[in-house]
Amino acid sequence: MRAIPTLKISISGVRGVVGQSLTPKLLTRFAQAFGTHTGSGTIVIGRDPRTSGEMVKHAVVAGILSTGSRVVDIGVCPVPTVQLQVRHRRAQGGIAITASHNPAEWNALKFIGSTGLFLDAGQARELLDIYHQGQYTKVGGAELRTVEEIEGATDLHIKSILDVLGPLPQTEKKLRVVLDSCNGAGSLVGPKLIEALGAEVIPINATPDGSFPRPAEPLPENLGDLCRAVKEHQADAGFAQDMDADRLAIVSEQGEAIGEDYTLVLAALYVLGHEKGPVVANLSTTSAVADVAKKFGCPVFLTKIGEVNVTDAMQQHNAVIGGEGNGGVIYPRINFARDSLVGIALVLHLLAESRKTVTELLETVPHYSIVKEKMACPSDRIPAVLRKVRQEFSKFPLDTRDGVKVMQPDGWLLVRGSNTEPIIRIVAEARSEDRAREMVNSVLSFL
Amino acid sequence: MKPLKIGITGVRGIVGETFTPELAVEFAEAYGTYLDRGRILVCRDTRPSGPMIRSAVLAGLLAAGCDVVDLGVCPTPSMQLAVKWLKADGGIAITAGHNPWQWNALKFVRGDGLYLNPTQGEELLDIFHQGEFAKASWDTIKQVVQTADAIDEHIKVLEESFASEAIKTKKLTVAVDCCNGACSFLSPRWLARLGCEVLAVNDDPHAPFPHAPEPKPETMAQLCAVVKAGRAAIGFAHDADGERLGIVTDRGEPLSEEMTLAIAADIRLRKKTGVVVTNVSTSSAVDIVAARHAGSVVRTPVGQAYISEGLIEHNGVLGGEGSGGITVPEVHLTHDSAAAIGLILEHMAQSGERISDLVGQLPRLTTLKHNVVVEPHRLYSVLQEFRAAVEQEGLEVDSTDGIKVMLPQGWVHVRASNTESMIRIIVEAEDKAAAQELLDWARDRIRK
Repeated sequence: MRAIPTLKISISGVRGVVGQSLTPKLLTRFAQAFGTHTGSGTIVIGRDPRTSGEMVKHAVVAGILSTGSRVVDIGVCPVPTVQLQVRHRRAQGGIAITASHNPAEWNALKFIGSTGLFLDAGQARELLDIYHQGQYTKVGGAELRTVEEIEGATDLHIKSILDVLGPLPQTEKKLRVVLDSCNGAGSLVGPKLIEALGAEVIPINATPDGSFPRPAEPLPENLGDLCRAVKEHQADAGFAQDMDADRLAIVSEQGEAIGEDYTLVLAALYVLGHEKGPVVANLSTTSAVADVAKKFGCPVFLTKIGEVNVTDAMQQHNAVIGGEGNGGVIYPRINFARDSLVGIALVLHLLAESRKTVTELLETVPHYSIVKEKMACPSDRIPAVLRKVRQEFSKFPLDTRDGVKVMQPDGWLLVRGSNTEPIIRIVAEARSEDRAREMVNSVLSFL
Repeated sequence: MKPLKIGITGVRGIVGETFTPELAVEFAEAYGTYLDRGRILVCRDTRPSGPMIRSAVLAGLLAAGCDVVDLGVCPTPSMQLAVKWLKADGGIAITAGHNPWQWNALKFVRGDGLYLNPTQGEELLDIFHQGEFAKASWDTIKQVVQTADAIDEHIKVLEESFASEAIKTKKLTVAVDCCNGACSFLSPRWLARLGCEVLAVNDDPHAPFPHAPEPKPETMAQLCAVVKAGRAAIGFAHDADGERLGIVTDRGEPLSEEMTLAIAADIRLRKKTGVVVTNVSTSSAVDIVAARHAGSVVRTPVGQAYISEGLIEHNGVLGGEGSGGITVPEVHLTHDSAAAIGLILEHMAQSGERISDLVGQLPRLTTLKHNVVVEPHRLYSVLQEFRAAVEQEGLEVDSTDGIKVMLPQGWVHVRASNTESMIRIIVEAEDKAAAQELLDWARDRIRK
């Protein structure tokens, strides 16, 4: 019997369990490899508030410095803030220290290139090769640089958002929202942004101390506190961030979680209403995005799962908005990154400008139900499972760019292996929840 | 072969070559494991590699579950005192002391503020080599606490250990060269507290070392000029981390670092006679001084840990080494150049004696030091061959540390450096010609 994996080194970075496999030596070596890959220059680092964050940070700083690069440490902040800062400073790269939605015992390094985008697959493979070869750039003496700790990176982030979108248009009554930051990296900057936009904010779970008040993923089942708070405060909306503040979920004024898939739908409603252009999403995103794009006469491109695939396609097609069904919104006029703060600003603008409630806005777009399941699956069995799915659904059109997506007349079904964990993800979307559940069950039944 | 020394005194090497961040991380993890977590203080000197090694050490200690207090740039003896008042379990000093600026090192301090003794050093090395370290889980891992209080507290302890009021009334003019090292934060403040008019040079901790951080006559030209121009009563020269002290007299004469202990011993034994603990490689001047004051000398192997242990064992009144490191037991049982300054200024204030007059009465022997660089894998064979050659000539050897031979005109000491891949030869005789003869004698018997 194999041990339960506590370390994942892949093209999406290095991720592991602190106190087990994610040792400071491993982290230092990865940072050395990254410094070797970028060449000397400036590297921006930021982290989420996990308890292991400081240990990981120091290991990373040591590794980067030893290769002759300078470190700009922007402290505890959202991942998109690191990405924005890399571009702003024309840095050689960045490292975000966060295991995003993984539980508290995990941490991870995510590598950002000089464009502010995560390393693409090719660059990430080069980094892994350098890591494994172990021949890192070493400098000594006067070539060594130091760490600059800066404050105010999140202020720059807020300013960038206001520069592009401006404050909210006047409404009779100030919009009131509840923000659940999951005690994560968005705890301090989120409320500041909402106030700067001109809305009233009631923060909950806003103590960035490394404790997890709820599971980090902003899924409806994790947002009970937020739903209650929205009703209690008679708020116009509730927003939920994850630990590293890249993903966003929304709760309606009636206190109902609308599903993280609809974050991109609402953001697209606002953006396309102001500027027409291509929309990019991934294969796992709700069809409602395509419906909104169609309404505005804009094309939609779907990509493989993974933020870097979406941003690549967005650049290729010159998209005006993009994102993922997991609540990741990418608005390139501000930041080429999944950014919950940008998502909040877009949705608040939509509410203020349309003078409609979240519920009323959702009534203007088709409603789908999405059912998501996951099951543990040893990696060696994943290809067999996918083959079986292809055979089973061969009578339908199949999209096999990432796992298998089955296009059925009344919805779609996606089965794929996770990039980050030894599990199979099954997602189905249909007009009704029953039908979506039925599609998921049709897969589970033969696995 | 590139120099790297991993030994019982710690780990030392050139950053950018052998001393990598992984190595620092793993040594810190090993030390955290050795101390079974607990509270550990970290300090560093001003070398350019300090911030990199500091981060590596903090990461390793945190990963092992330690409660880490970072004192920032701070002299090693200030940290050693802080270990006691912060009730810490130990400390790591990031400093290569007197080595050139490209070097760095980790030195390991115990819960009593002293360095690990050789047995403890061996135990730490075993843990390092085994590579199985304590690991904190996410719910037990700690955060680093920063504090800058160690130097304030050090000055307070120093002030209480000497007749500070007497010194203040004299308003002595004192020159000091901090070598832009960690003492830049300590020494000028300590002297000002003693009411001295301070002529400080090279006291910018952000600037590079202006000269080798080794207080010897070769590096003290600037200090001599300041002493003369400022008519100072004395000049003090520091190394990078506050252990060694060099002295320039009121006449602007730079003294050999070997003289620091002779001066300190003369001052100390006049007041209170007893045992002076020093190493086998230190000038015999201390023996002559001790004899004058009815004191005695105990010789140990080279290294601070041995001096500290010797002081405890013999209840010594003073410790020190020919390198300029002085231990004043009233302050603590470890080398502390600021304590040596207190001892000397107290004497000058109370007796009114000029430092040049005091030095004039001390025996002036000639000490010559010579280093022979040897490939690391040959270091100990070269020593053995030297010993065999000497014994064949029917001479008796003292093997407390390396090989010491007493000859009619003086002594010769040959040993492997604890910190670099070289053989150190030290000879001492009445005059320069005799000393040179001894050095040639030794070099003739060393074959690389």
